[in-house]
Amino acid sequence: MTPERALELKKTADELRLDVIRMVHQAGDGHPGPALSMLDILTVLYFEKMKLDPANPDWDDRDRFILSKGHSCPGLYAALAKLGYFDKKELAGLRKLGSILQGHPVKDKTPGVDMTSGSLGNGLSIGTGMAIGGRYLQKDFYTYVIAGDGEIQEGIVWEGAMTAAKHKLDHLILFIDHNGLQSGGACADLSGVLPIPEKFASFGWHVLNIDGHDPAAISEAIDAAKKETGRPSVIVAKTVKGKGVSYMENNNDWHKGVPNAKQVAVAEQELGGA
Amino acid sequence: MANYKGSREAAACAMRERAAKDKRILFISPDSLKAMRATDFAAEYPDRCVEVGIAEQQAVAAACGLASTGLIPVVGTYGGFLSMRACEQVRTFIAYPRLNVKLIGINGGIYGGEREGVTHQAFEDLGILRSIPGITLLTPADENQVYQAAKAMFDIDGPVYLRCASGKERIAYEDPDTPFLFGKNRVVKDYGTDAVIFCSGFLMPRAMEAAERLKAEGVLVTLADVSTLKPLDREGTAEQLKRCGAAVTVEDHNIIGGLRSAVAELAACETPAYVIPVGLKDIFPSSGAAEEAADFYGMSVKDIMEAAREAKRRKKG
Repeated sequence: MTPERALELKKTADELRLDVIRMVHQAGDGHPGPALSMLDILTVLYFEKMKLDPANPDWDDRDRFILSKGHSCPGLYAALAKLGYFDKKELAGLRKLGSILQGHPVKDKTPGVDMTSGSLGNGLSIGTGMAIGGRYLQKDFYTYVIAGDGEIQEGIVWEGAMTAAKHKLDHLILFIDHNGLQSGGACADLSGVLPIPEKFASFGWHVLNIDGHDPAAISEAIDAAKKETGRPSVIVAKTVKGKGVSYMENNNDWHKGVPNAKQVAVAEQELGGA
Repeated sequence: MANYKGSREAAACAMRERAAKDKRILFISPDSLKAMRATDFAAEYPDRCVEVGIAEQQAVAAACGLASTGLIPVVGTYGGFLSMRACEQVRTFIAYPRLNVKLIGINGGIYGGEREGVTHQAFEDLGILRSIPGITLLTPADENQVYQAAKAMFDIDGPVYLRCASGKERIAYEDPDTPFLFGKNRVVKDYGTDAVIFCSGFLMPRAMEAAERLKAEGVLVTLADVSTLKPLDREGTAEQLKRCGAAVTVEDHNIIGGLRSAVAELAACETPAYVIPVGLKDIFPSSGAAEEAADFYGMSVKDIMEAAREAKRRKKG
């Protein structure tokens, strides 16, 4: 990836971050911190790598995406709006009665959302089904899943990890948004989930470790994952919760929280969107 | 020609026949091939049998993913594991997105689960699943009805739970070709209006015997087969409640949540009537031989008869 393109993607990610801040402010509710941490990964996927057709969201051959950490959905909604899956005006409806943008992603309710998510831990297992389905149907699409480092404490994740390895799902690519924090505090303080890469390696996965805020590294990791055959890939992406907004970075109070008008103004300035 | 013995073989046989004509049908096994009598299916269609190991949540979640690509996955295993261990996956990832997944729950009830004991019996499955929007619940009365229901469920676009037993169930309908009625109660005996007996599932032979013996002693009942628990045949059920004025519900399930609840809920809203329950009385049962355990836990022919007499007495007030 050229430095110019990487910069462009960074700018896009920051634009989406600002959308997230404004959406959560407007909704009076939501999870800004977790959304900001995964947005560079999501941006590279949606604006660089994934095979998509926003005019035809149900296209059979499209790449699939599951936001397993569904509470980060304002980021996904912002990306889908920018790509034209629906009118950007819908972003103002987040979490409001009757809106197409539910509190967590809902398949069929929001154009472009491939799968319902939000109850943590389920995305990988659902992704195994998509990948097995794609192979059975002789399609060439990839299934991407973004999971949080907190949610992989759920047992079903490891059921999915075993299934993916057993079925040699090389068209399944899992990102771990490894920001080290979860609702209740530091992952390491709440669970024995760390270290993550070794766990997946011992489950038979191809493991890549990257900086989750470096578009070029994200893009290269996806290329490497696609080259790997006969086993699934996990890209463990080190990230910063609340990335891009100074008062949110690594501050777990913003796991769930609503920025006030002044804080929105600060974010606008920092994200270059004032 | 269909060749099976018991409800599990009947379901597997139907699935194989439908799969022969529809390549979208896959079986997802949480190490349940043997229990589901689906080893033949796996041998015939190795690329259409997805083994996930002992992992019911994974099986249902994978089925969700598969269905989202346009395939028709069938997940079959013990009903308790499907409805309890994988309850959230069924609710949030199958029912909520209305995905075309077929669930086959075996060992339904204590009669179906017999000697295995509480861990492997399912007597809350229907109550749990009935409270989830959008799932069709099929409760056939014998193996032939299972065979037909298992074929018919593929014509329903959306999630379906088919309740099977363990193979100890008896034949209810003499004619094996008796059609399975989807969404409509079948009047099995029409001897009179002293009470209506609603029966769903594999206690039907007992309910039939009870209706005959009641007739001999002058208690004339109507017996209806509620082969689709959800969506309930509201019209047919209300009509019989109104006609008879008192009802008995017969189910191999906890009396909370299943047929008794469905009928009582309807009666309370539309046509008030006494509803006397026959089923498992909100307790955990012991292991035991099928017939013996069903008798012991209040689901004997005599229990059904006494419930019908009680219904008739209450009505007279």
